[in-house]
Amino acid sequence: MINLSTGAFFERSTQQIGVLRARAETLQSQIGTGERIERSSDDPVAAARLRMLARSDRMATVDTRNSQLAEADLKLADQSLSSIADLVIRARELAVQGAAATLSDEQRGAIGIEIKGLRESLLSLANSRNIAGHALLGGQATGAAYTDDGVNAQFVGTQAVDALEIGEGQSVVPGLTGPEVFDFAVDGTDTDLFAVLGSLAAALTSGGNAASQASSDALASLDAGLEKVSTAQTVVGSRLNWVDLMTERRENNAERVADERADVGGADIAVTMSRLQETLTVLEATQASFVRLSNLSLFSMLR
Amino acid sequence: MASDMLSIAASGARAARGALDVTAQNIANASSEGYVRRSLRIEEVSASGGAGRNGDISLSGARIAEINRNADPFLQSEVRRTNGDLQRANTELSGLSNIESAIEQSGIFTSIVEFEASLQQLAGDPSDPSRRAAALAEANTMANKFEITATGLDSVGAGLRFDAEAQVSEANIIGGELARVNLRLTRAGSGSSDRAALLDQRDQLLERLAGFSAVTTSFASDGTVAVSLGSAPARSFVQGGTSGVLSSAQGADGTLSFAVDGQPTNPGSGGLAGAALALTALATTRGRLDAIAGRLADTVNAAQAAGVGSDGSPGAPMFAGATAGTLRVVLGSGQGIATAPAGAAAGSRDTGNLAALREALASENPAQQLSSLLFDVSSTVAGRNVTQSALETIASSARISLEQQSSVNLDTEATNLIRFQQAFQASGRAMQVASDIFDTLLGIGR
Repeated sequence: MINLSTGAFFERSTQQIGVLRARAETLQSQIGTGERIERSSDDPVAAARLRMLARSDRMATVDTRNSQLAEADLKLADQSLSSIADLVIRARELAVQGAAATLSDEQRGAIGIEIKGLRESLLSLANSRNIAGHALLGGQATGAAYTDDGVNAQFVGTQAVDALEIGEGQSVVPGLTGPEVFDFAVDGTDTDLFAVLGSLAAALTSGGNAASQASSDALASLDAGLEKVSTAQTVVGSRLNWVDLMTERRENNAERVADERADVGGADIAVTMSRLQETLTVLEATQASFVRLSNLSLFSMLR
Repeated sequence: MASDMLSIAASGARAARGALDVTAQNIANASSEGYVRRSLRIEEVSASGGAGRNGDISLSGARIAEINRNADPFLQSEVRRTNGDLQRANTELSGLSNIESAIEQSGIFTSIVEFEASLQQLAGDPSDPSRRAAALAEANTMANKFEITATGLDSVGAGLRFDAEAQVSEANIIGGELARVNLRLTRAGSGSSDRAALLDQRDQLLERLAGFSAVTTSFASDGTVAVSLGSAPARSFVQGGTSGVLSSAQGADGTLSFAVDGQPTNPGSGGLAGAALALTALATTRGRLDAIAGRLADTVNAAQAAGVGSDGSPGAPMFAGATAGTLRVVLGSGQGIATAPAGAAAGSRDTGNLAALREALASENPAQQLSSLLFDVSSTVAGRNVTQSALETIASSARISLEQQSSVNLDTEATNLIRFQQAFQASGRAMQVASDIFDTLLGIGR
């Protein structure tokens, strides 16, 4: 005969109810947090994947910040280049005027003064700062890009700009150096816009036939200079496009990462809710039957 | 020898009273820990007739022969064995979960990622003092997190060892108790209620002892037990009225070893075996964490040495200390982070050396290493969780079978109550009949 011990009955019932309660509580906490994984050991593989996803998420936010920085710098460079182009065009107009034989020396002198002024403006544009306060066209140097002794402007920046990482292993060069904008060659001779404008202004101020000759000679140099500036504008424009493209890719990627995080670690509310309901139903039934069974004692019949 | 009806009935009433007492005792102890249901064996008392009186009726009633203790030694040893396995799994699991928490909840993985991110951010503008300060602050946080994790792991180890020490001293107390119970058992009369109570005590002590370490038992006919502790090799612990001394010793890496009377042994199962397993896992984890911290410091310091800080001076080491517990930032300010390659001027925005540092970190990949460490620990926990719930089921079904076999069922006791009450009343009636017969005999002469 199997002896159904009273103690065993109570122990078994407590255990069953305890197991059901624990299961209901786990489901409840999954619904409360929306996360299926409370600690790594709940699902080690998924937890490891989640860690790596969180890491790439974090890196992407820094990429976004760096990319915004590059974009701002490139936009500033673009604006400066437009101003520089306007300035060169104005200088060319003045050179055309100065080449006219009908002008008096005084008038040429006035034009020379304006061109000198244009050269000053060009220099300050060349030394304009980016949002971090560094010379926009100075490469990796801190401080000014050009120093000027009144005749020759000297480039004091570095010769290259380091590329900046903007995510997924891609990078962009967030600026231009002075020589990339101002230096060019005319008839095989290297020169720059500052020298062209400086010598033109000097020639116009000194007057005479040499002045009108210098003006017509300067036209070719100014055309070459303008071409260099527009090339630089094209380069900046294409880099801005690249940054835009990468921004879009990063956004898509962030969406994919968020999707995967939800897939790997998120709790499906509908499924979890119905499981909780099921568990609670079973728990209530167990409790009710426990109460009825534990009342079934022979002693309650003995009167 | 003739029979005496009155004394036969009286002995029946006495036996029924005894049976009722035992039933009441069973009911009273229905929920007592370790109580084994008692039952009475009642036997007939009669004498064979002497020479020449073969035809005589010689009956003398009934008497209580023995108080039975309905315990099945096999089920009891199963309970001891499965409970020992469960205790081992419980202790190991709780130690491993604590290790997992120490690594996961200190946020060390996040702090490594933040450090990497701050270096990446610094690449955006290496001359920005706030970005430099941020990178150094993240390095500091990371070093602190390593230290917090190391401290957390140390306290897990201390907790495990403290529990194990407590279990060792409790096992020694139990050993002494068992020796005393053995001595009293040799003096207790066979079949007495005193002996049954001592056996209950003995089995309870054995069960508690099996929760700490594997036990091998051999029972003598008088109920005394000889106990050996541990496995491969088992060492004699209790023999008759003497008990040995269980001791534990801590190794250099924090693991524990055990000995009985100075003879080394292996607990095999129970809480002590679990603590030993968890401590071994802890020592391995601690070693791997130290290695990650050491290599991280080496990588960063080597890259620092190859470059110059923002003031153009050669890069000084960023970290000191080669273990997780001692890792700390020694670089005074963010300006000292060597972003530019050697030879660069002060204030250079060249990120050549920073790129080299980030590349070295990416190939060393401390975040990935830490993630795999955490993965290894957490998958061990997940595996042990499965083992533990299987062992729990096995242990609880062994316990339930023992309880079904050996503990009190109130319905049976209620039935016994009625049955023995009726037996008592019947014996009383027999006494009355004997008295009536006596009265009849007395009335013959009138």
